[in-house]
Formats: sequence, C-alpha cells, structure tokens
Amino acid sequence: MGTPVGQAVDGHGARQHRRAPTGPPGRGRRASALGLRRRRALLPWVLLAPALAVIAALLLFPLARIVWLSFREYRLRNLVSGESEFIGLANYVSLFTDSYLWRIALPNTVVFAAVAVVATVVLGTLVALLLSRLRPVTRVVVVSCVMVAWAMPAVSGTYVWLWIFDVDDGIVAQALMRLGVIGPEGYNWFADRLFFYAIVTLNVVHGGFPFVAVTVLAGLLTVPRELHEAALIDGAGAWKRFWHVTFPVLRPVFAVVTILSTIWDFKVFAQVYLMPGGGVGGSEMLNLGVWTYVSSFGQRDYGTGSAIAVVLTLLLLGVTAIYLRALFREDELR
Amino acid sequence: MARTRTRKYVPLPAAALALTLAATACTGGGGGGDADTLTVWIMQGTNPDESGFFDEANAAFTEETGIEVDVEFVPWDGAQEKISTAIAGGTTPDVIELGNTFVPGFADSGALHDLSGYGVDTSLYVPGLMDMGAVNEGVHGVPWYASIRSMVYRTDVFEEHDLEVPETWDELRETALAIEEAEPDMIALPVPGDAQYSVMPWIWGGGAEIAVQGADGTWVSEVDTPEARAGIEFFTGLALEDDTSTTGAVNWNEIKIMESFSEGDAAMALLGSANPKAIVENNPELEGALGSFPIPGRESGTYTPSFAGGSLLSVFEGTGNEEAAWSYVEHLTSEENMMLWAEQTGFFPGLLSGVDTFTASADPVLEAYAIQLNEASKGVPTAPAWSQVEAEQVLVGMQQAILNGTSVEEATTKAADDIERILNGG
Repeated sequence: MGTPVGQAVDGHGARQHRRAPTGPPGRGRRASALGLRRRRALLPWVLLAPALAVIAALLLFPLARIVWLSFREYRLRNLVSGESEFIGLANYVSLFTDSYLWRIALPNTVVFAAVAVVATVVLGTLVALLLSRLRPVTRVVVVSCVMVAWAMPAVSGTYVWLWIFDVDDGIVAQALMRLGVIGPEGYNWFADRLFFYAIVTLNVVHGGFPFVAVTVLAGLLTVPRELHEAALIDGAGAWKRFWHVTFPVLRPVFAVVTILSTIWDFKVFAQVYLMPGGGVGGSEMLNLGVWTYVSSFGQRDYGTGSAIAVVLTLLLLGVTAIYLRALFREDELR
Repeated sequence: MARTRTRKYVPLPAAALALTLAATACTGGGGGGDADTLTVWIMQGTNPDESGFFDEANAAFTEETGIEVDVEFVPWDGAQEKISTAIAGGTTPDVIELGNTFVPGFADSGALHDLSGYGVDTSLYVPGLMDMGAVNEGVHGVPWYASIRSMVYRTDVFEEHDLEVPETWDELRETALAIEEAEPDMIALPVPGDAQYSVMPWIWGGGAEIAVQGADGTWVSEVDTPEARAGIEFFTGLALEDDTSTTGAVNWNEIKIMESFSEGDAAMALLGSANPKAIVENNPELEGALGSFPIPGRESGTYTPSFAGGSLLSVFEGTGNEEAAWSYVEHLTSEENMMLWAEQTGFFPGLLSGVDTFTASADPVLEAYAIQLNEASKGVPTAPAWSQVEAEQVLVGMQQAILNGTSVEEATTKAADDIERILNGG
C-alpha cells in the first residue's frame, strides 16, 4: 500500500516542478493562490466535519426530538406504537399553570444553583490561593487529595453523603445525639426541604470545587509576580491585592468556571434523585432535571417530561447568555 | 485581497448554545437480540440468591433447544422506569419477570406479546395472578410465583420476655410496646415509609378498599374513608405515638426492613415469604429464631388481609424472538422448575396444583404465610392504569407525608384524589 501512494506523490511533485518554470508565471500563481484560498476556506469545515457529525448525531438529533416530543401527547402506548398526536402548546400550558413548577421545581433549581455556584467558586478559589502558596511537593500532595473528590462518581459520592447523614446510624445523627442537640429519636432531615438541599449542596460543592481550584490555580500561576510586588510596595493588603490585581487578570477564568458550574448545578440529577424522597413524584424535593425524569419515566408522560426539559434548556441558555454578555461587556470596557 | 476571517466576537447565542451542549453532553447506548441468545430480565431485591437456580435451569434449556440464555438481574427498585427506558430505546429483553401489578399497564400499552395463541390453560394458575395477565382478552404473562407478606418475629425475643403471638390490633400494639420497653435497642416493629405493600393491609384491615369500580365504570377510592383512615392511623401511630419504629424508617423500603431484621435490629416486621430464607442466608445466627404469624385482624378471630403479589413471566413484542422466548417461559413455568424455584426461594408456586404440595413440605416458618395466602390476601384494583398509581408512588407519598407529620386526613384525601385521577384516566 505504501509504495503506490509514494509514487503518486512523487509523480505529482515532479509534474509541478516541471510545469513551474515553463508556464506563464502570473497566471499560474493566481490559479494556485485561488485554489489555495478555496482550500483554506474549506479546510476548517473539513476538520470540523467529524466533530459536527458526532454532535449532530448525539446532541442535535435528541435535542430536536425532545422539542418535537414536547408538542405531542406521548405516553407508554405511543412509545410502543410509535404513533402520537400533535397537541400544540398543551404540554407547555399545563406546565406553566402547574403550581408545582412555581412553588417547588423552579425555586429548588434556581436557588440551589445560585447557592451552590457561589459556594463552589468561593471554596475553589480559596483552595487555589492556598495551593499557589504551597511548595511544589506539598502542592502535589494537596492537589492529589483534592482530585480524589473530583474523581468520585456522583452516584458513589451521593451514597457516602447518605451514610454520613443516615437518620438512625449516620455519623452526623450520632454526633448530634451525643451532644444532645437532637433527641434519641433522631430527626429526619430528608423530609425538610432546607436540610435536604443543604445536604445536596454539600455533596455538589464537594464534587465541584476541585475543578474550580485547579483551573483558578492555573490562572494564578500566570499572574505576573511584578504586579503583586508593585501592589505590595504601594501598601496593598492581601484582600486589596486579590481584588485589584489577581481578580482582574483572572476575570476570564472566573467567567468560565462560573458558567460551567452554573450549567452543572442547574442540571444536577443523581445527587437529588438518589436521596430519600428525591425521586418521588409530587414530593417537594424535585428540581427541574429530576422532575423531567420522573414525569417521563416514572409517570410515563413523555410529552410533559420533554416540555420540562425544553424549559430547563432555555433557562440554561438564558443564564449562560447573560453571563457571556457580562463577560464581553467587561472586555469592551478595557 | 483576501478578507480576514477572524471574528472579533463570538455570536452570543451560538456561544451560549455551544457551551450548553458541551456541558450537557451525553452518550447513547445500544443493544438488541439475536436468534441464538435470549435475554431474560429477572427481578432482584428481596429474594434469596437466585443464580444457582438459573445456572441449572438455563443449562437444561440450552441442551434441549440449543438456545443460550443470558439472565440479567434487575433490582425491583426503579424497575418500571428501567422497563420504560428499554421500550423507548428498543433494548427490551426477550423474556421478563413482571410484578403482577405491572402487567396490565404494560400489556395495555401493547408492549407485551399475546401468548393466548400458544394454548395456555389459564385455569391451572393461581387466579389472583392469572387475572393480572389476562388483559384485553389475551394472555400477557404466565404466573410464575406468588408472594405474600405476613408478620415475621424473633421467637427468641418473644420467649425471653414471655410474649404471646398477638391476635388483634390492640395486642399487636401492646406486644410492640412491651418489646420496646424490654429491648430498648431493638426496633419493635418498623413502620416503613417507602413500602406501599406494608400500608395496604391496614387500609383493608380497617374495612376499606383502595378503589372500587362503580356501575358506570368510574373508580372511587376509599382511602379517605373513616375505615381506611382508622387502619392507617393505627399503623402510623405505632411509629408516631408509640415509638415502636425508628425515625429513619420513613425512608425504608422492603429491602431495608429485611436488612434491619437480618442485622438483628427488628423484633417483628411485615415481610414477604421469600424473606425468612434470605434473612438466614444473610445472618446464619438467626437460624431457628424466626417465626411467623398472619397479620392480626382488628377484632379477635379475624385476619388483616395482606397484599398478594407475585410475578408473571412475559414475552416482549417485537423482539423477533417471541417463539423462542415463549419456549423459555414454558420451561421455567413447568411444574418441575416451578416447584424447584419455590423450594429454593420460599415463594409460593404460581401453579394451583403446586400451592398445596409446597405448603405441606415447606419450612414451618412459612406456615403463617399459607394461612395468609389462603384466608386473608387481596390484590390491587384490576385497572390497567393501576401500575401508574405505583409508578407515581401515590401510596408511598401518602405514607411518607404522614410519617413526616402531615395529618392522616390531609394525606389520605390527596392520595384518594390522585388514585381517582389516574384510574379514571385524568
């Protein structure tokens, strides 16, 4: 196989060599320049094609399908037969008139995401600042420890938190009982929305902060030392140096980690679904992501489930757009 | 002159979309059946170890037909969702064990192959199970085993404290209180929140039905009647007022009850007939320390009906292997294999002729179960939409709400409304 290809290339190269001196110089150059330009214009698309094909097959098609489903009456029977009826906006109307959306699912999603994102970014940044001050060897040790939290799969991590907060035998319950904060009969925190989401927040922040820490650390290492030294000489304290030196330089990094954390925290699933009561339809613990699943696969109302998924996606797009706009506006100002 | 293609900005919506896509990326799965191998889904959770039975039964089947069998164990927990997902993805197995309450819903949706063409004699099987498979004038499942829930207790604890087997609700409560006082570290009687079949008996025992169909075909739920409320109040009162349970039990399902019994924490519990064997398997120290009694009635001389569950074996439609799948169902439901299965698990066989044989030869621990099955057992409403009530976890939601402090009135009213909405096709 190697030989013929090599020959062809050789032959082609030889022909070009031969033609170059004989042909009219101007025309030849223009023609090859045109071809080159066309090829240059095409090249990015050729290079992107495999990725675009994968995205189209794995993401765009399911996305389009979910939008399509959300306009249909689609239940188990339709799933089996494959036939369904177009019902216009009925799924959306019933969704937006359902008090469950406004009372439970939306606040659970938005408030939780806001709290979790702030906590993740703040904790991650603090850990990054700590790491940047450590010696290389110590830093490797601490980063490795932090990575363990990151490497933990969401499902296993959630079960560990469930054990920690087990109502009867969990370490938290036992400790609080010993201290006399709660009585020997215990307290079912999974039944209390605030406690429930406090545990989810702990779990999600624990799983999310290493990414922020490592990314911010990478950024911190690029901040020129001179800037800090200059600020130090001007008499700036650590707090001022962070806000006036580090933060402006790292603004794009913070934008990225915040956007990604927001997206992840909006669509948290396993960490809620696996908690007691987190997967029960009608319980006040569901967020939009889990509600989508419960509606679709628990209650087998795939149309409504898809409508919720579409609303969640639009919500995410909106939040992301606002973040990006804020980011680019900052850039323009500079 | 060539124009530069560099952009100074990224279009906002495109950037947002790209980020969202990148962050929500997921992967798809695939699968399917081929003619030489049958995929079989067997439910798993509260049963004793089943792999030995299947090794033998499958080897015999392969020898006879040349078809390999691949048994996959699916936890009961979330099974309905997994089956729906498989239907959506076209990755259904060829043969599936379905809980009797699941069958009408899946049969009605057209997902299950009609077996009536293979000459199934429906009169041979336990009627309560067969009825659930005979939907829309077809046969959508063959009864495999019956399972009933009854009270299991620790004979050693009862002996040590001179306790008698309770015969009325009041006696049950007094016994639980006595254990609670004598063995403060034990859970006298767990009152689980995530186990609907542990709630149903008390609704029936109070004298109500979960739902009844009127002459015009409309379903009316009796969960909010004074009778049902009295029963639910009695059961949840054991946890809320008498403290014979434990706070964490709000989140317990039947598996967790069994585990707490295995660990020696619980003194009495409402458990399925396959559980005693599994408990001894988990904790051999409890060998010989288990006894059972039928759920006592409200008044003496009666029993509180228990939920008669069980499983059917069904064949999925559209796999292309329906006939081979049927021969496997026939193989597992043969009298020989059914009795072997019953012996190994403690479930009652789905064949009528097998029930008495099995009862006569079974472990004495199962004596009360036979009484419960024959004299005080009930099924759920036979509406195709019933599986939806289970899928939406209406009774679990009700039970958890009560255990978490909602009044019985409020929780039962909501449950009754939900049941009526679902069964009447709202």
